[in-house]
Amino acid sequence: MSTRTVVTRIRDRARSTPKGVAMREKRLGIWHEITWSDYWDSVLDVGHALLALGVRPGDRVSVQSENRPEWLFLDIAAVAVRAITVGLYPTNPTAETAYLLSHSGSCVHLAEDQEQVDKALGVEDVPRLRRIVYVDPRGLSPYDDPRLMTWTRLLELGREHRAAHPGAVEALVDAAEPDDVMTLVYTSGTTGPPKGAMLTIGNAEFALETVLERSPFADPPPGPRDLTLSYLPLCHVAERVLTTWYNAGAGTQVNFAESIETVPQNLREVQPSLFFAVPRIWEKLLATTRIKLDSATWVKRRYAAFWLRRAERLGARLAATGGRHTIGTRLAYAVGWVLFYRALRDRLGLRRVRHASSGAAPIAPEVLQFFMGIGVPMHELYGMTENTAIATANRPGRVRLGTVGEIHDGTEVRLDDETGEILTRHPAVFAGYWQDPEATERTIGADGWLHTGDVGEWVDGTHLRITDRMKDIIITAGGKNVAPSEIENALKASPFVKEAVVVGDGRKYLTALIGIELDTVGAWAQQQRLAFTTYRDLSEKTEVRALVQGVVDDVNSRHNPVEQIKHFRMLPKELDHEDGELTATQKVKRSAIDAMFHDLVEEMYVGGREGAA
Amino acid sequence: MTIGTPWGRPELYTDYKQDMALLNTRAKTLGVAAILVVAALLPLLVADDLLVILGGGLVLAIGALGLNLVTGYAGQVSLGHAFFVGVGAYTAAVMAGDPDGRYLGLGIDFMPLWLLGAGLIAALFGALVAPLATRLRGLYLAIVTLGLVFIGQYLFFEWNDLSGGPQVGREAAKPELFGIEFTVDNGFKGGWTEEQKLFWLFLAVLVIAAVAARNVARSRIGRAFAAIRDRDVAAGVMGVNLTHYKVIAFTLSSFYAGVAGALMYSASGHFTPESFSLLMSVQFIAIVLIGGVATVSGTIMGALLIALLPRIAGELPAFVPFLSSSASEHPNVFEFEQVMYGVLIVAFLLFEPRGLFGIWHRVRTYWKSFPFSY
Repeated sequence: MSTRTVVTRIRDRARSTPKGVAMREKRLGIWHEITWSDYWDSVLDVGHALLALGVRPGDRVSVQSENRPEWLFLDIAAVAVRAITVGLYPTNPTAETAYLLSHSGSCVHLAEDQEQVDKALGVEDVPRLRRIVYVDPRGLSPYDDPRLMTWTRLLELGREHRAAHPGAVEALVDAAEPDDVMTLVYTSGTTGPPKGAMLTIGNAEFALETVLERSPFADPPPGPRDLTLSYLPLCHVAERVLTTWYNAGAGTQVNFAESIETVPQNLREVQPSLFFAVPRIWEKLLATTRIKLDSATWVKRRYAAFWLRRAERLGARLAATGGRHTIGTRLAYAVGWVLFYRALRDRLGLRRVRHASSGAAPIAPEVLQFFMGIGVPMHELYGMTENTAIATANRPGRVRLGTVGEIHDGTEVRLDDETGEILTRHPAVFAGYWQDPEATERTIGADGWLHTGDVGEWVDGTHLRITDRMKDIIITAGGKNVAPSEIENALKASPFVKEAVVVGDGRKYLTALIGIELDTVGAWAQQQRLAFTTYRDLSEKTEVRALVQGVVDDVNSRHNPVEQIKHFRMLPKELDHEDGELTATQKVKRSAIDAMFHDLVEEMYVGGREGAA
Repeated sequence: MTIGTPWGRPELYTDYKQDMALLNTRAKTLGVAAILVVAALLPLLVADDLLVILGGGLVLAIGALGLNLVTGYAGQVSLGHAFFVGVGAYTAAVMAGDPDGRYLGLGIDFMPLWLLGAGLIAALFGALVAPLATRLRGLYLAIVTLGLVFIGQYLFFEWNDLSGGPQVGREAAKPELFGIEFTVDNGFKGGWTEEQKLFWLFLAVLVIAAVAARNVARSRIGRAFAAIRDRDVAAGVMGVNLTHYKVIAFTLSSFYAGVAGALMYSASGHFTPESFSLLMSVQFIAIVLIGGVATVSGTIMGALLIALLPRIAGELPAFVPFLSSSASEHPNVFEFEQVMYGVLIVAFLLFEPRGLFGIWHRVRTYWKSFPFSY
């Protein structure tokens, strides 16, 4: 009896439903379907090609590409030959690419196109890197680096090897052990360089069994009739679980978005039934809805306002019942569905969503409540790379806003008695950081408890509420502990605010740096007949400052005095991964912000200046 | 189609066939089915006098579809449409005419044959004229095709054996199929009237013509037409054979005109050569412009509106006191009707350049983007 792995799961699907759709990729306006048998066939070809290239069990194979079928083919093929997949963000700048390639010691690297190939070729001192495979050959014909190879050539190589050594890959598939490391997931690294978390086959299997079998997150459990949209970076643990592993484990049909810009359009086309998004996407969806409704004709605007008021009430009611409909809400929603919500959800691409979730960062409850009100069943989840995204989840019908939900069956979660740090222990806790035993030791205690670095508290003994990242907690000069992320999210719930960084560690009061959302504020400025040129110009307008002041005042009114923002400054630029202000997952690097906008922050503490709240 | 193709996601195109399908959404399928059912039941619901007008509208629509193919889709302005309609009308009349009668006649009773014959002879003339279009464009082409109308008028006026001469005219082809005489009341067991039977006949021919036109428009030929319309030089550079496709456009267009001509006088049973004047060409252009350039459904809407115009004008004196229904007083409804063509063309070009179809399109977009505006 061989070990069950994501690879054997795919093989089983290719045998039981060879003609079923495994994934779709949009090319020139058409969603090309890839069946399970196509999928398995490609995996075998690529697996054989890896063998032909001399990849041995335990070797690292890296990928730097947007989400596309080749990502999955290579990932699964690498696991099939017992190698380790390493995912790189397509947005990683050259310096980070260099660090990740040399730290992981990758020997075969998939670079999607010329842009990624340039990054990989720019890396020096990677003696192990033998092959750089590229999918999109455009612009690459003049390149003559001997390591370069096209994807087509890779497949040919695989077919030749497959003909010469039939069954070589399958033998390795059957030899897999639960302790085999299958992937290195590099954490985004808000502080210091990224660390590569080693996830094993056992981790993945436990994670899949937990969310699909032991405590299925949706009812009925996800299956081959469900559609998902794959658009978040696949090297992130959340998207890897949702795209690659759910696809293998539950047979959901994966649809690859063309790019992050086309997500709204692709959402409308695909109308996924399971949809996961990070808070940033939900906030953006909410902001877009508001702008589009505000710019509609008078009649439509009035009509929408009427139904959104009802949705607000519905959302509040559902938030109180944990997402379970009462007869009253069901009736109210049914009428609204026919007259408004159905159309609205259809335009947003959320019409067929039966389970929507948010995770990977904290989200404001108002945002969740809005979507619950228009009938999208929202669930906030909690997990991290180091525990294969298995910690807690809000279950359908038992949702509690502002919490990250309940413990999964078969897993353990507790709070540290002294610090309140959240600790988890279950078979999906990772095997350690790649080549970093010290960090591993700091993270996993001797008793197997994983230190998450998040501080939390129990609500009613069942639901977990996260206060903040432990190291982000602000202790003011007055000695008060303040969780900045909660305030920041309250600010970001406004459609006008894109970024908010609360400052105040060791200071007398809290202040904030606020970045506006260019789309919404731009639209607002147009309505106000306010001329502007650049982002900076717009954010420095007195009117825009007043607009943001309104948002800050509103948030302040809901917080006690120590947690109120006394002053704020507008960020003069949009934060960016390239400039080192954000991580690849769009998380703010506080240290970089502190350094870059030091003057702005100091200005706010030079007492008694104008602009006070 | 593979297993698991999801249901109810109209914008998820998994192959080009689905994208290009005639009825690519369920709403469209249902809508077209509903319109067809209503149209088929109309003769049972509507009084015969109105049915005559609507039936006339259907025939006009067939002819206008032809003009829309050449002018709307392929962008070749033609003022000579009346000529091709005339060729069709006379061909049908001659083919179906009594061999022993006063005028030319071949005695072919079988309707599909003379219908097809009318189309083909008209198409032949179209093909002959087409080479002109490859040499000329825009205003010049319009003037040349205008010349066709005058040549046609001369021919029809003078060739008495064919046309019966001006003011006299000759009998039109009588539609008859498998023993059903469409122009005789209660001829069939069901006891349908002439108007009902003719309406069904016209409807059937129009449906065939419209589906064919849609198919041409969405095929390689249609795309070549659009390319030529948008910029013939660019189309040529792209590899579209200009001569070839312009000939196709004129030939197809004339075929439609011929078929329309063959059916146009079935109801009245008699026609004179004066009919095929410039006014008829203008009428067709009005239909295309009012209905919507390069649309099939718009053309049909436009044709029905133009056909109903006399009726609408006739109802007006009841509402507008200074308008007289008597031809001897001024201003009267007949003058008003003439003016309306011009007014409608001007008004549509100014305010609704995409025609009735444009209005429909806006209504559709309003609901398609609901609750947003874009």
